[in-house]
Amino acid sequence: MQSEPKISFVDRLRILRETRFGAFVPVLLALAAIWTYFGIALPFWDYIGDPAAENIRFIFLSPRNIYNLFMQSAVIATLAVGITVVLLLGDIDLSAAATAGVCAALLGVLVLSGVPGWTACLVVMGVGMIMGATQGVLVAYVGIPSFVVTLAGLLGFQGLMQKILPTGNLNVSDPFVRGFARVLLPDAAGWALAATCVLVFAFLNIRKQNYRHKKGLEVEKSIAIWAQVAFFGVLMFATVATLNSYRSVPLLIVLLMTITALVGWVTTSTPYGRSIFAVGGNQESARRVGMNVKRIRVSAFAIVGLMAAIGGIFGASRFGSVSYTAFAGGSLLLESIGAAVIGGTSLFGGRGSVWNAILGALVIGSLGNGLDLSGASAADKLMFSGAILLLAVAIDAISRSGSSSQ
Amino acid sequence: MSLSKKPVGRQAPPPHLRVSGIQKRFGGVHALRGVDFEVARGEVMALVGDNGAGKSTLMKVIAGAHPASDGQFFIEEKPVSVNSPSDASDLGIQIVYQDLALCENLDVAANLSLGKEPIKSGWKFLPKLLRPLDDLEMEFKAREAIDKLQVKTLQSVQAKVGGLSGGQRQAIAIARAVGAEGTVVMLDEPTAALGVAQTRQVLDVVKRLRDTNHAVIYISHNMRDIFEVSDRICVLRHGGNVATWRTEDTTPDEIVIAMTRGLDDEATNAV
Repeated sequence: MQSEPKISFVDRLRILRETRFGAFVPVLLALAAIWTYFGIALPFWDYIGDPAAENIRFIFLSPRNIYNLFMQSAVIATLAVGITVVLLLGDIDLSAAATAGVCAALLGVLVLSGVPGWTACLVVMGVGMIMGATQGVLVAYVGIPSFVVTLAGLLGFQGLMQKILPTGNLNVSDPFVRGFARVLLPDAAGWALAATCVLVFAFLNIRKQNYRHKKGLEVEKSIAIWAQVAFFGVLMFATVATLNSYRSVPLLIVLLMTITALVGWVTTSTPYGRSIFAVGGNQESARRVGMNVKRIRVSAFAIVGLMAAIGGIFGASRFGSVSYTAFAGGSLLLESIGAAVIGGTSLFGGRGSVWNAILGALVIGSLGNGLDLSGASAADKLMFSGAILLLAVAIDAISRSGSSSQ
Repeated sequence: MSLSKKPVGRQAPPPHLRVSGIQKRFGGVHALRGVDFEVARGEVMALVGDNGAGKSTLMKVIAGAHPASDGQFFIEEKPVSVNSPSDASDLGIQIVYQDLALCENLDVAANLSLGKEPIKSGWKFLPKLLRPLDDLEMEFKAREAIDKLQVKTLQSVQAKVGGLSGGQRQAIAIARAVGAEGTVVMLDEPTAALGVAQTRQVLDVVKRLRDTNHAVIYISHNMRDIFEVSDRICVLRHGGNVATWRTEDTTPDEIVIAMTRGLDDEATNAV
């Protein structure tokens, strides 16, 4: 065994992924690579290859395209956040997109029949939770593997969606529902929001550091804290600046971020979230310390159901219509599972984060968007997405095998 | 009856936990046929026996994992009942299973407080499961627990358990079992899968448990470890007591014979 550099690379990868922010690094690198390729390399290539062109046109990185990219990725991201929660348990949900489809179709039918938009949204969110929880009961109490239960759910809900929408298509014109995607925050509000987020982030970090100091616990280097704050700040302000220079920050994105922050907080900072990680890491251990593993499982599936319903609402809002192909019948399911996995959430349970799912959704969204812009066919898109997904799972498998060998 | 019950003599310290006449049947199998067992505080009681002698069953009965078919439990000579794991842990009886049951994906501090995570005060409007964790308190307690057992070589309580050595994991499992209120700690083959240095580390932790006035029940096959760490040795055979010896009065050979053949008539040095 003389191949030391190789081992140390895998080890470094593993160590990197064990740290709090290190888990973001691989997916951020993937995102940077995709953006560099589509945003900078391709326009340059076209410019050099075409003598008639007068100047380089950075279409991919234009504010308008970034805006669209965010909106396109929002539905995938919403589902991916939910799917991450069950993946953390070591389960999988194949029915999320179909659930989103049923919920969106139900929403369309409800608002068409005159139910107020907000009532319809609440009803649909409740229905989504019940659909998720039912599958959770089958997994936890009946003991059917989640893959099978949700595969059945996928088929069943696809059928159910077709039952609700016999024509396969329904326009949604309710102003409340459309509002999620249409309402834009005023420019100033966007800036204020970004500033508040950065300040709160900095405040929480510094306060925590001070407490640690007082209690005599290990403290991070203060340069690391400030680097984190600076990085977060640059990210926030750059995003707001880009969105403002096209239109402004859409309500949809703010909602998505708020929901993700909430789910992220619940999964990392509450006893409930800790129990999800514990069950994903070692179910027997969780059971022995008195956690109700079955109930945790059901609740996680209820969360996916809820997130799927919210994804359905967002989708209906963005497209202004509900169609079979946009949800249950299309590639939404695989894209959202792919987003969660590309983000670095392990399929084996116990490792991952909802924020990574958002980044993973951006990777999937950017890939699709970039390939569309460069005129690639649907076939190319599918093959590229497959390759990226495979790469992400390979990284997961390598870093996992590194950690379990002693 | 060859399965004679030897009463414990005058030299024995007053027991903290005592069980007597424990019977356990699994269907037609009579796994424990009236076992007496006791352990005092500040003592390491080794529990040995051949495969199938009933060590693990006795341990699970004491831990409440398998309720006894018959028998009595006494803590400080007061009768108590143990019918579930939570009964046992309420009485301060803790068990460290052979597979440790640690969550490799979580860090040391999280593992130590698993299932009883400290939560920040306030936030009363939220359901208990959704109140914010007190990470700092968790880390602080973990630090204390680790320092108390003097687990050397463990750099940080923020390290993921998946990256630790076998001995460190064992120490963490023990630290979790002892926790704040554990008084009786049962260890199931704690050194079975460990190398020499790791075994030493675990034995040091066991000695520290004795020094901190815990009652330790130590199950093992390894005579060298047993003779190094235990104060008394209780031998089981075919689901019954053979005898209990003070470690200083006996030899590994004698214990092995007792495990495999039962008590020789000339063995007069048993307590």
